[in-house]
Amino acid sequence: MSVFCLSRSMIGFRNSGMMVMVRYAQTAVAPAPEPRMKKFQIYRWDPDTPGDKPRMQTYEVDLNNCGPMVLDALIKIKNEIDPTLTFRRSCREGICGSCAMNINGGNTLACLNKIDANTSKPTKIYPLPHMYVVKDLVPDMSNFYAQYKSIEPYLKKKDESQEGKKQYFQSVEDRQKLDGLYECILCACCSTSCPSYWWNGDKYLGPAVLMQAYRWMIDSRDEFTEERLSKLQDPFSLYRCHTIMNCTKTCPKGLNPGKAIAEIKKMMATYKERKAASA
Amino acid sequence: MAAIIRLSSVCRAGVKPLFYQSTLLARPAVVLHKEHLQPHWLTARIHSSQPLYAGSDSKASLHWTAERVLSIALLALGPVAYFSPGPVIDYSLAAALTLHGHWGIGQVLTDYVHGDTKIKMANAGLFLLSTVTFAGLCYFNYNDVGICKAVALLWSK
Repeated sequence: MSVFCLSRSMIGFRNSGMMVMVRYAQTAVAPAPEPRMKKFQIYRWDPDTPGDKPRMQTYEVDLNNCGPMVLDALIKIKNEIDPTLTFRRSCREGICGSCAMNINGGNTLACLNKIDANTSKPTKIYPLPHMYVVKDLVPDMSNFYAQYKSIEPYLKKKDESQEGKKQYFQSVEDRQKLDGLYECILCACCSTSCPSYWWNGDKYLGPAVLMQAYRWMIDSRDEFTEERLSKLQDPFSLYRCHTIMNCTKTCPKGLNPGKAIAEIKKMMATYKERKAASA
Repeated sequence: MAAIIRLSSVCRAGVKPLFYQSTLLARPAVVLHKEHLQPHWLTARIHSSQPLYAGSDSKASLHWTAERVLSIALLALGPVAYFSPGPVIDYSLAAALTLHGHWGIGQVLTDYVHGDTKIKMANAGLFLLSTVTFAGLCYFNYNDVGICKAVALLWSK
């Protein structure tokens, strides 16, 4: 019995020894990976330095020891090269919307954007276009959030005395209408890609907010559809949309704000009639 | 002494209502718009920001609908003018083209012209331009061959 055990362990030892040799041979044969130095040109502006002007700063990152996404490169730069580089990030998986920025000319989330493997071209990173900059890649979102608040993005009932007593049921079809709308994470990529929002951002609500307005208009449980529509009865809130469709093109979540706005325009043209018909 | 008593009564009279006025303490957006219009807002205390534009008439959506109707009508007017040219079509074309251009340029002005006086000046200029255009087309229809014939003449030689 003991002999058998000994022989088993001997075999085991010899096997592992051979494996080590094989692995050593493999690593010896493989050539040392050549560094793939990628240039990142990043918008820098520090309001705390008096007289500081916005500038582009170039960083070089070896793609061999960096994660695949632009956010990985930004974090690597901040950790290892320049701790003063400022940007927003949180979930690193495209669900929080913090790291929205303009990468190589398009608004997107840095965490969902793969680094361009072509090392001859630098990757250019700017904050979201036409927003006030707080610092480096951090834009001021207060106007965007105030606009979102103005559409009252929550369920509204005419009779609130029954509130909390029973669930508001919804048919499967009614629930399906919200698909493609509720997924919006309010990263503001679409709104800040819209030329109409650039020129009239103070009065035009922008695609992200309008899509959420539509989301609450078509919610079968909401009873303020007419009121929500009549709130948009002015030349600016809704009608600055000229169907440019930058919003749909840029959305990192693959949603379609342009279609939602078109649906609102159709509802705006007909909702008075429906009100008269129901009364 | 009398002066002090009078002063204190003034203070009480002056200060007390000042603090009891709920409008001074509460958020104006909620107090002015919601509380006396919709009493249930007292139960659901959600502070909402003011609507950007208190638009209640359907002017903006009517304008949008009119623009779409006119665009579709213009699409139809082309073939009609080709197959049955005449003075009725000439004058409809003059009106439709002018109005289409007027509304179109109006949108561009709303997009790009900022500032009260500048907007007024731009709109006045646009109105003048559209009026002159329409008058010119009508003059051409009345005293010359008319729009349909004029376009047809482009191919005749």
